[in-house]
Amino acid sequence: MNKIETKKGSIQKKGTDKETLLDIQNLKTYYPVKGGFLKRTIAHVKAVDDLSFQIKKGETLGLVGESGCGKSTTGRTILRLLKPTDGKILFGGKDITNISGSELRRARQDFQMVFQDPYASLNPTQSVGDIVSEPLKNFKKMSKKELKEEVLDLLSRVGLPPEAYHKYGHEFSGGQRQRIGIARALALKPKLIIADEPVSALDVSVQSQVLNLLKELQGEFDLTYLFIAHDLSVVKHMSDRIGVMYLGNLVEIATNESLYAEPLHPYTQALISAIPETDPKKRKNRIVLQGDVPSPQNPPSGCPFHTRCPMAKEECSKIKPALKEVKPGHHVACILY
Amino acid sequence: MVNVTANEMNRQEKPINMSPFAIARRKFLRNKLAMVSSFFLLSVIIISVLAPYITTQDITKVNISQMSLEPGGEHVLGTDKSGRDVFTRLLYGGRISLLVGVTCTFLVILFGTIVGSIAGFYGGFVDGLLMRFTDFVLNFPFLVFVIVLNTILFGIVNGLWVLIGVISLLSWGGVARIVRSKILAEKENEYILAAISIGCKPSKVIMKHLLPNVLSTIIVQATVTFATLIVAESALGFLGFGVPQSIPSWGNMLSASQEADVLRDKPWIWMPPAIILTITILSINFIGEGLKDAFNPKSNR
Repeated sequence: MNKIETKKGSIQKKGTDKETLLDIQNLKTYYPVKGGFLKRTIAHVKAVDDLSFQIKKGETLGLVGESGCGKSTTGRTILRLLKPTDGKILFGGKDITNISGSELRRARQDFQMVFQDPYASLNPTQSVGDIVSEPLKNFKKMSKKELKEEVLDLLSRVGLPPEAYHKYGHEFSGGQRQRIGIARALALKPKLIIADEPVSALDVSVQSQVLNLLKELQGEFDLTYLFIAHDLSVVKHMSDRIGVMYLGNLVEIATNESLYAEPLHPYTQALISAIPETDPKKRKNRIVLQGDVPSPQNPPSGCPFHTRCPMAKEECSKIKPALKEVKPGHHVACILY
Repeated sequence: MVNVTANEMNRQEKPINMSPFAIARRKFLRNKLAMVSSFFLLSVIIISVLAPYITTQDITKVNISQMSLEPGGEHVLGTDKSGRDVFTRLLYGGRISLLVGVTCTFLVILFGTIVGSIAGFYGGFVDGLLMRFTDFVLNFPFLVFVIVLNTILFGIVNGLWVLIGVISLLSWGGVARIVRSKILAEKENEYILAAISIGCKPSKVIMKHLLPNVLSTIIVQATVTFATLIVAESALGFLGFGVPQSIPSWGNMLSASQEADVLRDKPWIWMPPAIILTITILSINFIGEGLKDAFNPKSNR
């Protein structure tokens, strides 16, 4: 499988220095709202509304936004755990938007997920050995001995002792459980790993260990990450590029340095101003947003952010701005630019 | 979160590498009432199975010279109105009652689990279809249906298997509903998404990831079903619509008490099956209760 894929990749590589691994085009995921007589669909929650971005091979794209803005839905839709309503998902040049059944199962070897909740993401009735070996059993013909060696190797790579093999999930701490989840995701040597808030459920002291582990593994296994988080400092530590989401839309996407040095979108500016400062003497201008996030079932007309934007103009409620490249590699969706 | 860490500390003291089922087994073995009940139930089963080796009396032979004998002497528990040995019929009756109970429970749990887990896992249209079918089965008038079917099929097929078939066919609805609701709750966990994303087929997700995690509910449900179905068999037997009279069961032994003089003056004919039935049902329920406690992570008895 791997060999074939790399061949395909090298054909595509022509010209560009880094090939695009994941290409998301106008992705939409709507959840139907059922109600009324005979449970008809009466409305849609627009969890992901017209999202487009690319991830290049070997890079880490961070995706930030507040709770409920569609980050996790984006991740799950890309993995095809949810069915996209519209748009295209191209993985390594292959359209995976509408494949299903065994074709989808085979494709899943190349993209894996690290889940948010280390307690709910491990099957309580399986031992660690079973959990980590299961993806291998699904796809690879291996003898029992090879399987065990492979699992022990994976466990040591994520920093777990070999004794963990026979233990059960409940015998571990949150950080260790997250390591088990990472080992499971790595078992098939995927190209892309979507990390859905992998550290938000962990103690701060453990967070950095897991983040550094993810970084080490990226080099070792030649991984590409889509890193979803709501913690800006975590994203800054991890990402090469960062996308900011608001109400199912991507409002700004730029390189790490560019975004933090000069956030362009008013929403990004507000987010960055909210990062706690380690030096208490340092004064800063905190931008406090007014009001609540509008319901994604009935998003505002025009720019989704205009209801809370301190710089909103009249036309903001009429025109929905598209992502525009303002500076090289720095895209923003705002009529101010 | 505080609770979780406290639990973890508790668990760390126990011997390592305990699966959730091993923990449940330990808890169950410590539950005295459940252990006594299991012991009793096991003895009833063993004695019933070994009936031909314990007593040599004929279960069907009518003996007019020995009608309604009081307990004692050759007949330990006396004889019934046809002169048949009550003790012998009690042992053989246990075979039938338990056989009907076990077989029906097995079929009911099997069918209920299949329907419930498929409905719960796929949801949507499949769920709607299967659950409406379940409602249909649940709404069937059980007693009337059993009596009618039993009457129609009697003579064509062996009476015992008709009864087992009919009871099983009409009783799986409750199990299907419970399994479905449990699966619905369980499939929201991220490990199910993880199982799908590592390439498990839907059948494997249900068999390896969902069912083991709802197994505790299914086992508890099985004990309840077992008790209910033994009662159902006895009730039908009492009414005369159970297994044919030629085959003794606890239910049709009880039907002797329909006659006033037997009920008033000859308690040895109907008391033994009544007592053994009651204690058996009680012990099954205690076992179920014990299993429920054992599988509940919050109980620490």
